[in-house]
Amino acid sequence: MVATQTHGHHSKPHAGHGPESELVGLLAEFEDQDALIDACEQARLSGYKKFDAYSPFPVHGIDQAMGTRRTMLPFFVLAIAFGGVALGVGMQWYANIASFSPIFPGYDFIISGKPLWSLPANIPVSFEVIVLSSAFATFFGMWFLNRLPRLANPLHRIERFKRATDDRFFLMIEKNDKQFSAEQTLDQMQQWGASAVEPVKLDLTDHKIPLSLRRAGLVLGLLLLVPPAMIYRAQHATNPAPRLHFMPDMDWQYRFGAQNVGPIWYDNREPKYFFQDKTVMRLPPEGTIGRGALTTDIELFRGIKAGTKIPDPTLVPQPAPAVAGQAPAAPVLPLEPEWVTAFPAALTVDQSMVERGRDRFNIYCTVCHGYAGDGNGLVNERALELAISSPIQKGATSNAVWTKAKSLYDPTVTIQPVGRIFDTITHGRSTMGPYGSQISTRDRWAIVLYVKSLQAARAKEPPLVTPAVPVATPAADAAPAKDAPGSSIPASDETANKSDSPATDSKGN
Amino acid sequence: MATTVEHHVDNTIERPGERAPLVLGGLNYSEITRTVCDVAERPRPPRAWYIAFAISFALTAMFGVLIMHLFLKGVGVWGNTSPVYWAFDIVNFVFWVGIGHAGTLISAILFLFRQNWRTGINRAAEAMTIFAVICAGTFPGIHIGRVWAFYWLFPIPTEHLALWPQFRSPLLWDVFAVGTYFTVSLLFWYMGLVPDLATMRDRAKSKWAKIAYGAFSLGWTGSARAWHRYEIAYMILAAFSTPLVLSVHTIVSFDFAVSQVPGWHTTIFPPYFVAGAIFSGFAMVVTLLVPARELFGLKDLITIRHLENMNKIIIATSLMVGCAYGIEFFIAWYSGVDSESYAFKNRVFGWYYWAYWIMVICNVVIPQLFWFKSIRTSPWLMVIICIFVNIGMWFERFVIIVTSLSRDYLPSSWTYYQPTWVDFGMLIGSFGLFTTLFLLFCRFLPTVAISEVKNVAPKTHHS
Repeated sequence: MVATQTHGHHSKPHAGHGPESELVGLLAEFEDQDALIDACEQARLSGYKKFDAYSPFPVHGIDQAMGTRRTMLPFFVLAIAFGGVALGVGMQWYANIASFSPIFPGYDFIISGKPLWSLPANIPVSFEVIVLSSAFATFFGMWFLNRLPRLANPLHRIERFKRATDDRFFLMIEKNDKQFSAEQTLDQMQQWGASAVEPVKLDLTDHKIPLSLRRAGLVLGLLLLVPPAMIYRAQHATNPAPRLHFMPDMDWQYRFGAQNVGPIWYDNREPKYFFQDKTVMRLPPEGTIGRGALTTDIELFRGIKAGTKIPDPTLVPQPAPAVAGQAPAAPVLPLEPEWVTAFPAALTVDQSMVERGRDRFNIYCTVCHGYAGDGNGLVNERALELAISSPIQKGATSNAVWTKAKSLYDPTVTIQPVGRIFDTITHGRSTMGPYGSQISTRDRWAIVLYVKSLQAARAKEPPLVTPAVPVATPAADAAPAKDAPGSSIPASDETANKSDSPATDSKGN
Repeated sequence: MATTVEHHVDNTIERPGERAPLVLGGLNYSEITRTVCDVAERPRPPRAWYIAFAISFALTAMFGVLIMHLFLKGVGVWGNTSPVYWAFDIVNFVFWVGIGHAGTLISAILFLFRQNWRTGINRAAEAMTIFAVICAGTFPGIHIGRVWAFYWLFPIPTEHLALWPQFRSPLLWDVFAVGTYFTVSLLFWYMGLVPDLATMRDRAKSKWAKIAYGAFSLGWTGSARAWHRYEIAYMILAAFSTPLVLSVHTIVSFDFAVSQVPGWHTTIFPPYFVAGAIFSGFAMVVTLLVPARELFGLKDLITIRHLENMNKIIIATSLMVGCAYGIEFFIAWYSGVDSESYAFKNRVFGWYYWAYWIMVICNVVIPQLFWFKSIRTSPWLMVIICIFVNIGMWFERFVIIVTSLSRDYLPSSWTYYQPTWVDFGMLIGSFGLFTTLFLLFCRFLPTVAISEVKNVAPKTHHS
């Protein structure tokens, strides 16, 4: 029996516009799976190639009956799984050890003293990545090979075919098959035990997308244009407002300035303090002192002779404004304390201290004072160049933008006792900044020693200072203050020679 | 119908040389289809469904409100405090992840072992897996403090920070494990659903049902060539899911075992956690399916034999966790480490001794009732026992996490952890979310894998 009735749908046939439908194939219905398997076997033996069976569940033995070749899906999944290995391991390798940064830099930091790359710890994530990528490959690969999703299929127009997902079994032979002939195939199907045979027709009149869907698509398409348009507009506009910041928690954290006195935060408008005296840091208890903070040795820490009167620093007059290219006016000496003229007893003055002084001097002092101490450091030279050429300076009454760094061989410097040079380095002088916070006390004394060595070396021609012994001892300069400064300098010939070209061998330190 | 089978045949009896029937009532193919689809196709579900849905939806709403409360106020609304920084949040996470494991075990491992009885229950169990993992994922998601920076969990390139996740951390492994587990479970479940959605599409009467089932069934026709690839894909997914499900709870146990807290730092954790996960998961499947089969008339498809088989697995895994509890004490003694031995003494006799004894009684003692066939084949008794198992398994995680943390190496910081009302509210709320999703699933999707059951049903012959 042949049922020609098709499932009623909403298409409107257009008379006179060609055929309304086109034959796709013949569909035979069977009542149980054994009949279907037999029919498939027969179809294959009859030479049909383009046919398919439909059943509500996978029927065992039908693949052999139909001659279906085993799918290549497992090999596809295997290939993707190998890709998953590379992806999983590579991702972790890049994120945790890559030091190069083509786009995003890796985070190659040693954490907990562990090696940057230790594979066992990377196995769990690699495994999960492999499973995830293979599962995606299986799932999507299967649908791809089955050519699904397919939203229109002429089979779904057949009312009878609805039972293919319930309790009936179908065989369809396509019209495209070389063996296909409408009458003969129909006969064969009935011979194979089909309970019904029905033509499958492709509806040619109903292939247009419904108007409502087209309208919705148009609206959706227009809406999709909005974000790129907004991005384009934003790229070509200037917006002075700060970036959107949805959770500005980091911007509003309570922070405590160490010197602050005042409310730290407000809890329901009630000011809160850390401590009763409203400070955020505690003072050390009465009569205690921090480790390394004991500075009672005034000779070592201030460069002032022990037991002498220290003038009130507030009475020291402000130095006169410096003039570019000129040495500033000499400070008012009477207010100065009595500086030590020899190195404090706490120091061991020897060759290694000179070397240390040279090392520190080359780091901190040479930028202005120059390697040889002539006051011609690169920063100084460049600053003078800028100060002279600066247009602002031309009409200005004062051009004191840069005070020339002093030559260490200036007579005002060579006469200074070691304590005063130490004080200059510690607190700065005139426009020179203080280095007390950057250079440790002993290093500052080492610099003083090196400066004195340089001066002694330069003074060779006018033999102002002649080093008596290669290594001076602090005991040796228990001399009166009127002694020439630098008499205690261990300025051996070797030191002096090196001082002439410190730039070349300073790297050796 | 060719054969007539007694409706109330006892299929729990083993007859030598004969396979016990897995579909009762003599249902033929179309009757199987009708039985399953009827739940979704009847105009309105039974009144019990509405009552259950109203309650569970209200609890879900409460869960949402509490999560907002947490976001606005911060994690201080929980009772977590130094040194118990992990408490209900992580207990709930481990509990729910564990629940999920039964679904994958049924759908993947029993599939690979050719256990045909899985077909009656695998769909609901897989759905349960997905809903349980949703509940599980919620808790670590909301306990991270700065929830708006949740994406820092993932290896997403940052513009300025040049920061990447720490790939050596078990917490990061967790993100990958649970994320992969959820994704793969969803794919597996949806793939299984497609042929059944096609069945429902072909039976749909209303326009919206046609559109919805039509779109989600992807144009499935039941073609033999498609079935061929489908079955192979199903087997590959099962083969991947099997090691995956073992890895997930292993990695969850690494969250504890890799740390040095006494009571956590043990190598027994991975197998012990996996066994516990399967134990609690099967108990949850039984708890859900007994009422569902009553309510939706699925007694012929989810038979007493199915339930009995699950109860057998429950008693096996109960013995496994019981062994693990014992071995932990042995190792604590054998290690000779003072803090380790103390941690276990503290579990039994310390502050939280009551939690420990609830755990032992619910997990080890009560399930022994399943040795009696009359108990393991009686639906309502097994539900009661399974509820005890779930209580016990929740307390197992509580015991592991809270007792270990509350007394770790530094006695000066020992604290008695006390949950707040928000903690309890969120625990109950997560059950609401779980039940809501499960009830929606029962109402709108095929609760039993129709095409798979037909495969194990006796052949329908038309003459």
